[in-house]
Amino acid sequence: MSDSDEEKTSPYVTLISNDGYSFQITREAAMISGTLRGMLNTSFQESSTNTIKMHELDSQLLEKVVEYLYYNLKYNELVDVPEFDIPTEMALELLVAADFLDV
Amino acid sequence: MAYGRRRRQNQAQGSEDVQGPSSALSAFLREQGINADSVRLRYEDNVRREQEMIERQQQLEQEQQEQEQQGQEEQGQSGNILNDNLTDIGEASGLDSDEEVYEGDDKNDTEVALIKERARAKRRRVDGNDAAGFNADHGVGKNYCIECDKEFAISVYSKKMEKYGRVGYLCPSCTKIAIRRERLAKRNEIEARKKRKKIAAALLDKQAFRLPSLQDFCIKIITENINDVDLLGDIGVNNRKKISRILAKKRSLDSKTMRLFLEPSLRELEFWDCSKIDKAALGQIPAICPKLESLTLNMCGHLHKDNMLYYGEKLTNLRYLDLNGPFLINDQIWQDFFDSKVGKNLTAFHLRNTHRFTSDSLVTLLDNIGDQLEELTLSRLDGLDSKGVYDLLPHYLHSIKYLEISYPHKEELIDDDMIVNLMANNGEHLETLILEGCSYLTDQFLVSGLKPFCPNLTKLSLKLLDQITDNGVTQLFTDWNINGGLMDLDLTRCISLTDNSIYKALEHCSQTLVQLKLNSVKGLTKKVFLRLSRNIRFPLLTSMDLGFVRSVDDSVLAILSRIAPKLSILEIYGNSRCSDKAIVRGDLRIIGRETDSI
Repeated sequence: MSDSDEEKTSPYVTLISNDGYSFQITREAAMISGTLRGMLNTSFQESSTNTIKMHELDSQLLEKVVEYLYYNLKYNELVDVPEFDIPTEMALELLVAADFLDV
Repeated sequence: MAYGRRRRQNQAQGSEDVQGPSSALSAFLREQGINADSVRLRYEDNVRREQEMIERQQQLEQEQQEQEQQGQEEQGQSGNILNDNLTDIGEASGLDSDEEVYEGDDKNDTEVALIKERARAKRRRVDGNDAAGFNADHGVGKNYCIECDKEFAISVYSKKMEKYGRVGYLCPSCTKIAIRRERLAKRNEIEARKKRKKIAAALLDKQAFRLPSLQDFCIKIITENINDVDLLGDIGVNNRKKISRILAKKRSLDSKTMRLFLEPSLRELEFWDCSKIDKAALGQIPAICPKLESLTLNMCGHLHKDNMLYYGEKLTNLRYLDLNGPFLINDQIWQDFFDSKVGKNLTAFHLRNTHRFTSDSLVTLLDNIGDQLEELTLSRLDGLDSKGVYDLLPHYLHSIKYLEISYPHKEELIDDDMIVNLMANNGEHLETLILEGCSYLTDQFLVSGLKPFCPNLTKLSLKLLDQITDNGVTQLFTDWNINGGLMDLDLTRCISLTDNSIYKALEHCSQTLVQLKLNSVKGLTKKVFLRLSRNIRFPLLTSMDLGFVRSVDDSVLAILSRIAPKLSILEIYGNSRCSDKAIVRGDLRIIGRETDSI
């Protein structure tokens, strides 16, 4: 966690999967998730370090979640959007993750 | 030529930027290259041209006279006649193009030279400072782009277009740009059409279009591949419910997939389409979920008597049972079920769409749990054909909060006296009363039943009660002080009602009303909405159905949008006076306008 001493208003947030991969995403994208928004808007440790450990998600799932966050960010205002692609075998686990993250 | 002049003046003016304030008209004129100078020039041109014409006419007449005199003297001079004709043609075909016409006639040489000189002078004037001398060599075989004025060789690919009041061609580079722009416009049009389609489709589902959530995407994939799923795992109660409902909607809930939703700890279970769930699978419900407190089975035609008896034995915690269409269960089994320990525990029993639930079954039900029942639905039960048994209801029911008696076998089975009696016994608990399709009821039950006995009533549905009139409804809602106001009022197809009674009803409920249905109350006029607009606000109203109330128009929509600030769904099917021009709040969804068609 090299970025633990970053400013609170940093435009980036780091998500860390349970197998150690870290994903740097914009704060704006992270705010789409109700759970992440809740974490970042309070006085929890996560909001001061801008780093969130996702103990439940492995890197594959987290990557897909991040992909969706940016998909949502890009297409939120549009109507004719491409389908978001999810591998069939991942759907159930991703549903659990999505339920947890409120996206 | 005129355009060329304007363009050039435009360019010239581009440099003198600093100007005082000017009106929109003068800005427009300047943009078009029209200014006082050019107007004056054109006017002078015209005047001069007219003068020239007059002069020439006079000259020609003189010459003609001379020629005639000469002709009389020397007959047989044919050249002059030809020359005369040519002169005529020259005059007719526009005076300026006289170069080609006047050639080689000695006699008219001076005149021709004069005219040529004038024409040249005129062109020079017109061209002004133009160094390129564009107009002078504007000849046959050369093409100038109508847009950028570039000279180019015309080909089959050149785009023809009409602009600035002229028809012309575009040069290759302009053609390319124009074609690309057209294609883009076409794509935008298709995009917009798709967008409208999606929004209209979402509107029919009473939703605004929004991007599906990640959960929605996952659920979609899961339901598509539900047959390959072995276990749903810990996906959350709401997601489980959502998947179950989607499967039911897609009619793919079957004996195999329904097992995914059974869990030992489950307290509530709902299957909205059991038509593919067989007897064996239904038998597993109490085996796997013994703690069930609430069970809803819709379209459960497969529910067998063995299942019913098994439920009666095992589901000891069951309080709430909702069955729709269990037509395999006959009278004897119903009686056995109500006599079982589970049957005796029930506090809520909802039954719809079976002809095998008879008068005897109802008597057993009432005998066993009549005084503890809090919720009871008897809807479309054609086996209940005895008025005597319906008349027993008031004697058994004492703590009922939710009562639905709808679409009886014959309308005479439910009469005013029975309902009045029922209200007298139960009125103080009653919160929901649904009497849809009991069309034998009249004003009497409103005035003598509801008004004096129902202080806690919040939901009332009188759908299809065509015998209730203005008189009864007005009496009910005038000074109904014991009742605090209804939250849900359904007066669909109460076709005898008109402005006065509806106004009274809305006046009584204005502060509490959340949902209102006035579908097909065709006696309503615009006056009632104007009256509401002046006097009443609906702070909580969120959903309203005004379908087939033909007097509703755009202005009524605007009124409702204003006086009901929380209103989010307004259905107006069949009201042809409503258009998309209605001025309403952005968050109010109006459903059923002709203009919203997909």
